[in-house]
Amino acid sequence: MRGIKFLAKRLVYSVFVLVGLSILIFTIARVMPGHPARMALGARAPEWAVERLREEMHLNEPLYVQYYYWVNDALHGDLGMSLVTRRSVANDIKEFFPASLELALYAGIFMGIIGIILGTISGWYSNTWVDNLVRMISYIGIITPSFVWAIFFVLIFGYLLALFPTMGRLTPGVGPPPSITGMVTLDALITGHFAAFFDALKHLLLPAISLALGPLSQEARITRSSLVDNAKKDYVASERSCGIPERTIMFKYLLKPSFIPTISIYGLDFAAILGNAFLIELIFNWPGLSRYGMNAMLQKDLNAMIAVILVFGLIFIIVNIIVDLIVGYLDPRIRLGVERAQ
Amino acid sequence: MSKIMKILLISLCIGGILSLGVAGAAERPFRTNWSWPTYIDPAVGSDFSSSVAFVNLYDTLLYPDVKGNPQPHVAKSWKASADGLTWTFHLRPGIKFHDGTELTAEDVKFSMDRLTTIGEGYAYLFGKVANTEAPDKYTVAFHLKESFGPFLATLFRLYIVNKDLVMANIKRPGPYGDMGDYGKQYLLTHDAGSGPYVVKEFPLEEYLLMVQNPNYWQPINLNAPDEYKMIGTCEPVTVRTMMSRRELEIADQWQPVESLKALEKIEGVEIGGFFSGSEHYYMMHTKKPPTDDIHFRKAMAWAMDYKTVVDKIYVGSVQARGPVNQTIPGADPTVFQYHRNLDKAMAELKQSKYYGQLDKYPVVVDWVSIPADNEKVALLFMSTMADIGIEVEIVKTPWGSIIEEMATEETSPNIAGVFVAPHYPEAGSLLASRYGSKSVATWEQNEWLLDPKFDAMIEDALKTVDREERFAKYGKIQRYIIDLCPSLFLFDQLEKHAYQAAYTDWPAARGEAIPIMGYNFAGRFIKVYSDKRTELLK
Repeated sequence: MRGIKFLAKRLVYSVFVLVGLSILIFTIARVMPGHPARMALGARAPEWAVERLREEMHLNEPLYVQYYYWVNDALHGDLGMSLVTRRSVANDIKEFFPASLELALYAGIFMGIIGIILGTISGWYSNTWVDNLVRMISYIGIITPSFVWAIFFVLIFGYLLALFPTMGRLTPGVGPPPSITGMVTLDALITGHFAAFFDALKHLLLPAISLALGPLSQEARITRSSLVDNAKKDYVASERSCGIPERTIMFKYLLKPSFIPTISIYGLDFAAILGNAFLIELIFNWPGLSRYGMNAMLQKDLNAMIAVILVFGLIFIIVNIIVDLIVGYLDPRIRLGVERAQ
Repeated sequence: MSKIMKILLISLCIGGILSLGVAGAAERPFRTNWSWPTYIDPAVGSDFSSSVAFVNLYDTLLYPDVKGNPQPHVAKSWKASADGLTWTFHLRPGIKFHDGTELTAEDVKFSMDRLTTIGEGYAYLFGKVANTEAPDKYTVAFHLKESFGPFLATLFRLYIVNKDLVMANIKRPGPYGDMGDYGKQYLLTHDAGSGPYVVKEFPLEEYLLMVQNPNYWQPINLNAPDEYKMIGTCEPVTVRTMMSRRELEIADQWQPVESLKALEKIEGVEIGGFFSGSEHYYMMHTKKPPTDDIHFRKAMAWAMDYKTVVDKIYVGSVQARGPVNQTIPGADPTVFQYHRNLDKAMAELKQSKYYGQLDKYPVVVDWVSIPADNEKVALLFMSTMADIGIEVEIVKTPWGSIIEEMATEETSPNIAGVFVAPHYPEAGSLLASRYGSKSVATWEQNEWLLDPKFDAMIEDALKTVDREERFAKYGKIQRYIIDLCPSLFLFDQLEKHAYQAAYTDWPAARGEAIPIMGYNFAGRFIKVYSDKRTELLK
């Protein structure tokens, strides 16, 4: 019951955050230099056509009136038209978001599994050559931007070895599975289109690994540090003195509390890769929301810009709530602390 | 599960991932890459990639030849009234849209009405059209508000849409009254044309895939691509990878010099170039000190090192000869051309009212960061002007900001470095848009010429229906402009593309380029030899 109250409270706070974010981004988008209607119709479009578009978009009204129109429409599910794709922004998000989410999920899987495994190995063998090797690999992963990895992988696995496709979600000619979730691999598995599944997986590997390498290195380092710190605590010494085998100490008593900082960072990283994937999406010609958002900003596509930022804001909020719940589950002290505070 | 079983399972998965190939691949695929977005609605798009899509999906009344002259296409004949106000076209019977319905005069009228009502895309070319009528099934007449000699040349941009198909897919309500959205939502992802290619797949933001129209009414060469894919990326690494894997036949024109050099090293890949009508100008503000002084402007014109620009920076381009790109019909090849001569530059400078106080009047040059080589031109300009004591301040300016600055006389810089191509393939287009009083405050004119004599001359020329007479008038206007020296005519731009010369026959690359954006990418004239491609892949 208290958990539900906690969740409800966080959701109410989230509404305020989203409203604040919408006001902020709405204002910034409109005071940025450049004429959105002119940019949308082209430099040679007749003035009357530009003026008509300005009126359609209420751009001649004061800012607060424009915001009123936007909120009113948004509450009715209408996020406006995109000036770039010329479709409803809601449709665009429906089409592009699953592509980004699918990419982020695969990156998240790599990030979680490999990061934690590397961190655990490093912590288990702390201050040995294995730890040093993992540390070195992690540092390389952390300091190298994801787009550098992307270019590197394209050159190695696309250009030199020609093992993996370097653009898009599916090879033309491979029929896409019926869209259920919008995530091609998932839809292909659900509908039994295995050719499409493997083809989509081939397309996903390089961008997902490029995105994951930085954060997974960070997770590895955090897991390792946390493990090493916890291993020095009294309860571990006490377990050792009772003759409990090291393996049991590690997997039963040490890992769970050591994952708490990793999961907090993992949540933030996961939300961040969704928003920061635009370079990867650009390099791999991935039709995702992040690239869509970047183009919206470059071309002053007002409605698209606001909607994309709100979507990413919402993802951050949801991920943070999930992380809080998981951390609460893993660490009773935090859970009880929250309950006491309430 | 035993270890051996696990290893087998993993191997199978990896094998599956790596081995599954492409189902239903085309025999002669043709792929090009572009900056995105691409619009396939002829009443919406007007950028490069959209123009390429239109040329392949739609037909026009007239089709340009390699010199940009109009030739019969859907229209088999035409005539203009003596006053130049009515243009009548007789259509070929039996041309079919992709859905099998016949293309008639009603469709042409509908296409013009739709384009001018929506007002986007190439609508700006048809501002002089008062109304269109279709007196019979195969005759269409355009009535103009005033005589307009180059009207034929603008018709290369009137792409004919299938009226019945569009009307059946209109969404109401919409911004166009009874016409609802005028079919804009439908035409965002579907075509309504009669052209040599048909839309097969169009995942927005990714690619446009077209297949050959088997019932096209004009001959299509046997080696023409059966699939035509336009890909939405210009990322150099991706382009290089696709070229090396023979997954891209022609690369975009925005690849940096380094990337072009790398592409050229790939076996079978060559750099093809052609002049597409674009000219690079240094537009000099004629109402702002010190560029308001004609002697000051002429001094700069004599001091500039044009040769270095075309030999070292924009290699392959040629020095411009006056205000009109030499590939454009109506360009006068005999007009005067400046070259670097410091003595003449100094002589002009001494006649300028700013001579002796040059330090008080630095010249501000705004240059756009794309293409990147613009910076080299700006630096060269700065250094050459230093030779005669003129101080230059170069400012890297985003395109959007240049447009805003050029919107008022006060905020326009002394010089703006801009590429301009004609709206339609005639000298009159460039002359009017570059120097006419109606185009001040737009990105096409930083000169603020506001010259009534010029306005009268160009208006008279554009009203002249007789082509030869009109071209003679263009020649006089070009000389008049050169005398005023409102711009530095830097170079006619060579459009460069890396392409798979080993297995692709591309007419534009072997000198048969059409000086109109998009037309050099008409798939039906391109040949792809799949056996040669297979050889290269071995």
